[in-house]
Amino acid sequence: MKELEKLYDRIVQRVNINLRELDFDVCPFAQELIPPDQMSKFYAFYGITPDHPLDLHFEHSALAGSYFLGKCQVKNSLLYKSDIRGDELKRKDQDIVFDDFSLTLDNDERITIKESALVKTLVHNFSHDPETPEQFFIKNTLAMDYSNIHGSPSDGCFLGPFATVDLTTMRDCAIGEYSYIQAGEISHLKVNPGTIWVQSPGNFNFLYKYPQEILKKYISLSPNKVPWGVLIDFINERKEQFQRVFDFVNLDAIESIPTTASLDRYAVILPKMKIGDNVLISQRAYLENSVMGKGANAQENCFIINSSLEGFNVSAHGAKIIESDLGLQVFVGFNSFLFGKKKSRLKVGKGCVIMPHTIIDIDTPLEIPEDHLVWGLIRNKDELKNNSLSLEQMNNITSFVTMGNMHFEGSGKLFVQAFKDRIHHILEANGAFFENDRNEGHAQRNQNLSLNTIQPFQFGTKEGMYPTIRILP
Amino acid sequence: MKNRHIKDLMVPISEYATVVVGTSLIDAIQTLEEAQEKYTTSKYQHRAILVLNENGDAVGKISQLRALKAIEPEFDFTAEIEKLKKFHFSETYISQLRETYRSESQIIKRDTLREASLKKVEDFMQTLSPGEYISEDSNLDMAIHKLVTGTHLSLLVTRDKNIVGILRISDVFTAIFREMESLQV
Repeated sequence: MKELEKLYDRIVQRVNINLRELDFDVCPFAQELIPPDQMSKFYAFYGITPDHPLDLHFEHSALAGSYFLGKCQVKNSLLYKSDIRGDELKRKDQDIVFDDFSLTLDNDERITIKESALVKTLVHNFSHDPETPEQFFIKNTLAMDYSNIHGSPSDGCFLGPFATVDLTTMRDCAIGEYSYIQAGEISHLKVNPGTIWVQSPGNFNFLYKYPQEILKKYISLSPNKVPWGVLIDFINERKEQFQRVFDFVNLDAIESIPTTASLDRYAVILPKMKIGDNVLISQRAYLENSVMGKGANAQENCFIINSSLEGFNVSAHGAKIIESDLGLQVFVGFNSFLFGKKKSRLKVGKGCVIMPHTIIDIDTPLEIPEDHLVWGLIRNKDELKNNSLSLEQMNNITSFVTMGNMHFEGSGKLFVQAFKDRIHHILEANGAFFENDRNEGHAQRNQNLSLNTIQPFQFGTKEGMYPTIRILP
Repeated sequence: MKNRHIKDLMVPISEYATVVVGTSLIDAIQTLEEAQEKYTTSKYQHRAILVLNENGDAVGKISQLRALKAIEPEFDFTAEIEKLKKFHFSETYISQLRETYRSESQIIKRDTLREASLKKVEDFMQTLSPGEYISEDSNLDMAIHKLVTGTHLSLLVTRDKNIVGILRISDVFTAIFREMESLQV
């Protein structure tokens, strides 16, 4: 058996040992997950920039098609087309505050990935675990296609395809496909597919559960098969366009990009795009025939097609916006799927918050009024009515509300405020407010980024594995 | 204080309501009523039915609460509500949700009652746990300990490996308070 296969088997066993109490076996899902012959076909690459400390350490790992930025250690792990973005890690001498505790960091924070397999996974943000402020760890974890590990240290976990864990430390958990969890800390929890849970203890608690049978149309997972469904088909239909950007070392620059905007060289841009000032387009984003107004962004794995984003829009990791018109400051959360059609466009009013993992799939035109919170599955006006509230209505909730599959308890005002604060923070970090050399963010800093590639062994027992490498400034 | 043994207080198995696996709820309740009519030893009536397998071994128990649970519809929203607990919703919210859901779905209807009456006892009986058995030679101290810590309404009394009777909480209660009264505190 080759080294790569041995390594993968070992990772799967380690994950299973951690999940034994949940009686959850990852083997059937892991079987078809990574085709070993693909692991030697793709190079890995990393960014060099004066704005982020550099320290990359790869040891006994396979890294096919994966990207690294900042400080990161990968050991005994297998990464396939994953993005490890360390551009928001905490820095040495930074003061952090948690409840009544405050601490000054002795070292730069580092992402540490050990005994894990990540497939088309995004790792971003920084550790929100106050117990490990200088280490964003991912251990004994298996993450499937298009999952997001966002500010969420993980030990002994499984993430199904399109699952997102956000600002939450997780231990020994199995997160079902298309679930979104933001709950601070979870352990020994098995989460069913399509569970959207946002909790801030003592402040609010939001839960929505997708109807299981309908969710299967969009994303399905079953033993011994690769994931399938509308979401996977949608991405696969556009796969070839990415081939071109990854095949060439130097691509022609697109001249119509304002100097304050950033377009990643690993993004797909198809005619006719109009890109405004301070726009950020991240790698593996796909944009076609759309307008990106000032300060709008498209993060990793976003698809924006035949759509217009008026400005200061956040399209979070994995958001897909098709045949849609978004007003100013509309937020589209992680992995949301806004699926308008040519003759049935979706219009989203100014200031709306489309919650993470929302699916809007319409066959007649639909308009979402300004300043609304939207969640779950929406296919027509009736479902929109059942799965949305105006921000004003949300602000007035002081105890609880139940609407269909949605449960909310706590302060609606704090919930809305938390979203608004976060949206503002994302825009700020992305450089959306850059003006007269002030408020610089990712959009401006990424222009100082250059890329290097590294290659795996091509032959022998180590085929697909990468040599041990330490990359320092 | 008298050193009373379990065998002095138990109801012999022959006087208790027993049914075999496969009996319907309605037949089980009729068996209970018949046993209650015959039982005159105590003013406290039997409130549970013992379920036996084909070999005559006790495999479960049906209390009044279990019988009522059998009437709950098959689609059990209570199970769904229970799942909310793992997502840290408060007891107040969960209790409110239960009331709302129940008020929206009535269960005392002819068809649901008819359906429930035909349910088999093994589908809703409470299976027996090791803490529910007590030897006939044990004393009252042990019985009280088992009833309280296990929150049981009765215990199965054994001789060797056979069940010879049922010790009901009402009989233990009576015995203890008779004793208290005799002390004239």
